[in-house]
Amino acid sequence: MSVVEVHNLFKKYPSFELKDVSFQIDKGKITGFIGRNGAGKTTMIKSILNLIHTDGGSVSFFGIPVRERESEIKKRIGYSTGTVNWYPRKKIRDIAGIVKRFYDTWDDEAYRKYLRLFQLDETKTPLELSEGMKVKFNLLIALSHKAEVLILDEPTSGLDPFSRDELLNIFSELKNSGVAVFFSTHIISDIEKCADDIIYISEGRIIGALPKTDFMKKFSCDGEGLEDTILRMERGVEHA
Amino acid sequence: MRNILIKEMRLSASPLSYLFLLFGFMFFIPGYPILCGAFFVTFGIFQSFQTAREGNDIVFSALLPIRKRDIVKGKYLFVCLIEVWAVLLIAAVVVLRMTVLSGLPVYRNNALMNANLFALGMSFFVFGLFNLIFVGGFFRTAYKFGRPFVLYLIAVFLAIGGSEALHHFPGLGFLNAFGFEHIVSQFLLLTGGIIVYLLFTMLSYRISCRNFEKIDL
Repeated sequence: MSVVEVHNLFKKYPSFELKDVSFQIDKGKITGFIGRNGAGKTTMIKSILNLIHTDGGSVSFFGIPVRERESEIKKRIGYSTGTVNWYPRKKIRDIAGIVKRFYDTWDDEAYRKYLRLFQLDETKTPLELSEGMKVKFNLLIALSHKAEVLILDEPTSGLDPFSRDELLNIFSELKNSGVAVFFSTHIISDIEKCADDIIYISEGRIIGALPKTDFMKKFSCDGEGLEDTILRMERGVEHA
Repeated sequence: MRNILIKEMRLSASPLSYLFLLFGFMFFIPGYPILCGAFFVTFGIFQSFQTAREGNDIVFSALLPIRKRDIVKGKYLFVCLIEVWAVLLIAAVVVLRMTVLSGLPVYRNNALMNANLFALGMSFFVFGLFNLIFVGGFFRTAYKFGRPFVLYLIAVFLAIGGSEALHHFPGLGFLNAFGFEHIVSQFLLLTGGIIVYLLFTMLSYRISCRNFEKIDL
């Protein structure tokens, strides 16, 4: 069942353009959003979160257009990025204490549970957290208000292999509990390891949005792994 | 609305916004341009905009389940709250200077502006300028605050300089009234200051909401 539907999205900047982007994200699945640096991953994510204005197309969560009932939708989704520090000098406990006021779905028990699971010290500030712990902090907030969809922008970038592996295992656990996990990355092995569906973007255009096995069938040559496939396709696009 | 204000006060605000309220006591200082006290209060609020930007506050707020215009509302509520607290403190000082301290030679021989209801009205005017020029200017980008702050600095120092000079002009001596002298005029000037403050703030808020809707975060 699709929980996010993106149809024919356009966004034009002077030097970059998202062109006719369409895909969907399914409940209880991990969707890997892959593309090289500058391919349009963050622009795409900001578009679906309604943080930037698009020039055309539509985005809906749970069948509801995001522009119509944004507040209601945002109660049911969570966003995380490893690259942004929220309130770097405030304690996690204080940030969570404020955020919970905005969600009637906030679950203190879940907050405690994930605090323990992620081994986060709530008296620390984001400034004191490693990159991996920052992502976990964002996940903690999202999961404490029972987000049904997680939109994660480059959550594994900058993490050591152990932390990446740990995080991917967490994604798998969340998927099993019915959460839709959508994460962007330029690290193909992360997608290979845990994604059910793959969305591949290059130069602002979606090249493929398919279940992983179908993606491999359609784009891979014999004996080729996902990484080789994407690299070959990317070179092909460059030289087109 | 309450939640967004609490978020502003506890997460986005700089402690200096609260600490700089104490500059309201500058209205006690003789021989000093007392309206600088109101300016320093706004300088404290400015620190909160810096702290908020450091904390990626605008994007964080945009991800909360609230409308985009509620983010603007939260900022204005916080700014106005600090200004109202400052005005209450300044008003208490002004009342003391208009009553028990009114006859003190150190205030009587003061060449600069006297702390009276006109000065209180001008404090409202200073806060109105801050809301119109700085806060309104900030929400044109929701990121850049250097230019709006410089523009505000120019406007506020012209306003302070003008206020200090006015009572030296022929026929305007009543602006420097002591105690309850020219009390009707003083009340009218205070009322004028409050009206200008409200107009500037409401105008600024409406423009900010409109501009912020158009911004890509």
